[in-house]
Amino acid sequence: MLGISMISLVGVLILVLIFGFVFSKGAAVISWDFLWGDYHETVYDTYYDEGLDDTVFSRPEDLDDTIWFSSVWGVGFTDSVDEAGNAIILIVYVHQNSPLSSLLDKNEEGNFIAISNGQIVNKVIFGDNIILYGSDGAKRAAFLFDQATIIKDMITVTSGGGIRGSIITTFLLVIMTLALAVPFGVFTAVYMHEFAPKKSKIVKLLRRLIEMLSGMPSIIFGLMGAAVFIPFTSAITSADGGNLFSGALTMTAIVLPLIIAATEEALSVVPDDFRQASLALGANKTQTTFKVVLRSSIPGILTGTLLAVGRIIGESAALIYAIGTAIKDKIILTERSTSLAVHIWSVMSQEVPNFEMASAISIIILLVVLILSLLVKLIAKKFVIDPSLR
Amino acid sequence: MAELHIKFQNKQYQKRSADDITKAVLFVPTLLSASIVLLIIIFVAQRGIAPFIPSEYEELAVDAILFLTGNTWFVSPNVYGVMFIVINTLIVVFGAMVLAIPVGVLSALFIVKMAPKIVGNLLSGAIELLAAVPSIVFGVFGLGIITKAVVGIASVFGTQTAGGISTMSTIIVLALMIFPTIAIMSITAIRAVDINLEKNSLALGASKMQTWLNITLSSAKSGIFAGIILGIGRAFGEATAVSMVAGNAGSGPTFDLFATTRTLTSTMLLGLKETTGLDYDIRFSVGLVLIVLILSFNLILTRIKKRIGRYSV
Repeated sequence: MLGISMISLVGVLILVLIFGFVFSKGAAVISWDFLWGDYHETVYDTYYDEGLDDTVFSRPEDLDDTIWFSSVWGVGFTDSVDEAGNAIILIVYVHQNSPLSSLLDKNEEGNFIAISNGQIVNKVIFGDNIILYGSDGAKRAAFLFDQATIIKDMITVTSGGGIRGSIITTFLLVIMTLALAVPFGVFTAVYMHEFAPKKSKIVKLLRRLIEMLSGMPSIIFGLMGAAVFIPFTSAITSADGGNLFSGALTMTAIVLPLIIAATEEALSVVPDDFRQASLALGANKTQTTFKVVLRSSIPGILTGTLLAVGRIIGESAALIYAIGTAIKDKIILTERSTSLAVHIWSVMSQEVPNFEMASAISIIILLVVLILSLLVKLIAKKFVIDPSLR
Repeated sequence: MAELHIKFQNKQYQKRSADDITKAVLFVPTLLSASIVLLIIIFVAQRGIAPFIPSEYEELAVDAILFLTGNTWFVSPNVYGVMFIVINTLIVVFGAMVLAIPVGVLSALFIVKMAPKIVGNLLSGAIELLAAVPSIVFGVFGLGIITKAVVGIASVFGTQTAGGISTMSTIIVLALMIFPTIAIMSITAIRAVDINLEKNSLALGASKMQTWLNITLSSAKSGIFAGIILGIGRAFGEATAVSMVAGNAGSGPTFDLFATTRTLTSTMLLGLKETTGLDYDIRFSVGLVLIVLILSFNLILTRIKKRIGRYSV
C-alpha cells in the first residue's frame, strides 16, 4: 500500500521538478526587454560633430555607485559581462537632452539614431583620435567622454535576445488557426451529429477518417504541411517557402479533430427534449440547431477551443516542417518566423544550447497552459452537468 | 378546403428546403475535414516514394530494399537504411511502456480507491497538468535534468555516456510523457467499476488490496488498455523531446541503454539543413514508415482490446 502511494507521487514529483528546473534556469532572464526586445543584435555606427554647448548634465540621484556618469554628455555607464564572460561597457542612462539621443548614422545619410539604455559600447573614436575600447571599463568611458567634444565614430550594439517576434508569431498563429478550425470543426460536428442521415455509410466513413486523424502524430501533419501547404501558399501569395499561412493551415488540420470531438460531445449532452420542443413550436431543423442546440453547446465548444489554443502554443515538430526555424524580429505573414515553441527548439539546437532562454520561454508557455487548464476546469464546473458527479 | 390544403403543403415544402440547404452547406466542411487524411496519405506518400523511383532521381535513386533492411542511416551519396531505426523505435517505446504502465495504472488505483478525496483531486490535477505540458518543455527538462541523472546512473554502473544523451534518457523522457495519458484513462476506467463487484469480493474474505489488484483492475481492463493504446501512439510519434535526448546515432540498432540511439522521429527532425533534395525527401519516406508502423500497431492492439473485452467481468 505504501509502495503504491509512493508510486503515484511520481506525477506530482515530476511536475514540481519540471516547474522548478524551468523557473531556476529561466526566471532571471525574464524582463520587459526580454519580452519586447529584438532577438537579433543590431549594430549602430554613429558620429557627432556639431560641437557641444555649455550644458552640464547633473547626475540623477537614483543612479548608484556602480554607474559612472559623464556630465558633459549626460550619459551613465556601468560595467557588465557578456555571455562569453568578456567585460563590456553597458549604457544604463541617457538624458533626454543628451546629444547622444540623436546621433547621425554613418551608414545612412540623414538618418538619426538614438543611443539608449541597454546598448553596449563596442568602440568609440573621439575627436583627437583617442580611442575607447569595449573592454576599457565604465570608469574610463565616462572619463573620456567628459574630455571629448567630437565623436568621430561610435559603435554600439543592442543586446538582442528578446522574444517579441516569436510572441507575435504565436499570437497570429493562434488567431489564424482558430479562424479556420472553429467554423470548420463546429460545422462538421453539427452535420455529423444533427443533419447526417442515420446509418449512412458515408457518415461512417467520414467518422473513421476523422478518427484516424486524431491518431496521427503531429510531425506527420508537419510533413503534409511541407508537402501540400507550402507549395499551395507559395503559389497563391508572394510567399517563397514556409510562411505563417502554411503554418496556420497545418495547425488547423491538427486541431480540427479536437474541436470536432469537443463539439460533438457538447451536442450529444444537449437533451433531445430541447430539439423536440423547438420543432413542436414550429421551428425548422436549421433554426432549432443553430438557435437552440448550438447555443446550449457553447461551453463545450469553448472548452474545445481552449484545448486547441493550448495545442497550438505547444506545437513544435509540425511547425518546424510547416514554417521553419528562422527566428525573426519583423513578422510578415508571407515569410518565415518561429512560434514560441519552435524558438525554444531553435536556441536549443545551437552548438551551445541556450538553456536560460529556453527555460524562460518554457515558463511563459507553462503559465499559459496552466491558465488554459484552469479555465477549462472552470467551464466544466460552471456550465456542464456531469451525471457521474451527482 | 382544397386551397388551404395546398397552401399548407407548400409551407411545409418551404421549411424542408431550408433544412436541405443547410444540410448541403454543412456537408462541404465535413467532406473537407475528412479529406485531410487522404491529403496526408496521398501527398506524403508521393513525396516519400519519390526517392526510390529512378525516373525522379536518376542515379541518386535510393534502393528500396536496402532502405528497408539497412543498419546504417546514411552512406554517401544515396544509401539510406531504416531497419535499425525501426528496431530502436520499438525498443524505446517498449521501454517507456514498461515504466509508464505500472506507474500510470497504480497511480490511478491509488487516486480512485486509496487516497482521501482532497489528495486524490490534487494528484489527478497534477497528472492532468502534466498531460498538457508541451513536448518541447519535456525536451528542455530532459536535456537539463534527466541526462544529468542518467550520467549519475551510468557512473554507478561504471559506464560512460555522451553527456547523458542515451537510450535510457529517451526511454525515461518518453515514459514521463505518456504515463499521464495512461493514468487519466485508467482513472476513468477504475471509477466505472461496479462497486458491487468489490463488495462481493470483500464479503468473500479477500483483503482490500487483493480486491483492488485482482477484481477492480480486471474489470477496468478495457479502459486501461485503451489508455495504453493511446500512450503507445503518442510514444511512437513523439518527435521534439526524443530528438533532444536521443543523440541520433548513425548506425545500429542500439541495445546498450547508455549509448545514443536514433528513432524514426529523431531522424525526421534532426539535421534539417535544406528544404529540397534527397536528404529532405527521404524524411518523407521515414514518415511513411512511421505511419505504417502506427497504423499496424493500432490494428493489432485494437484486435487485442476486443479480445480482452470479451472475457472481462
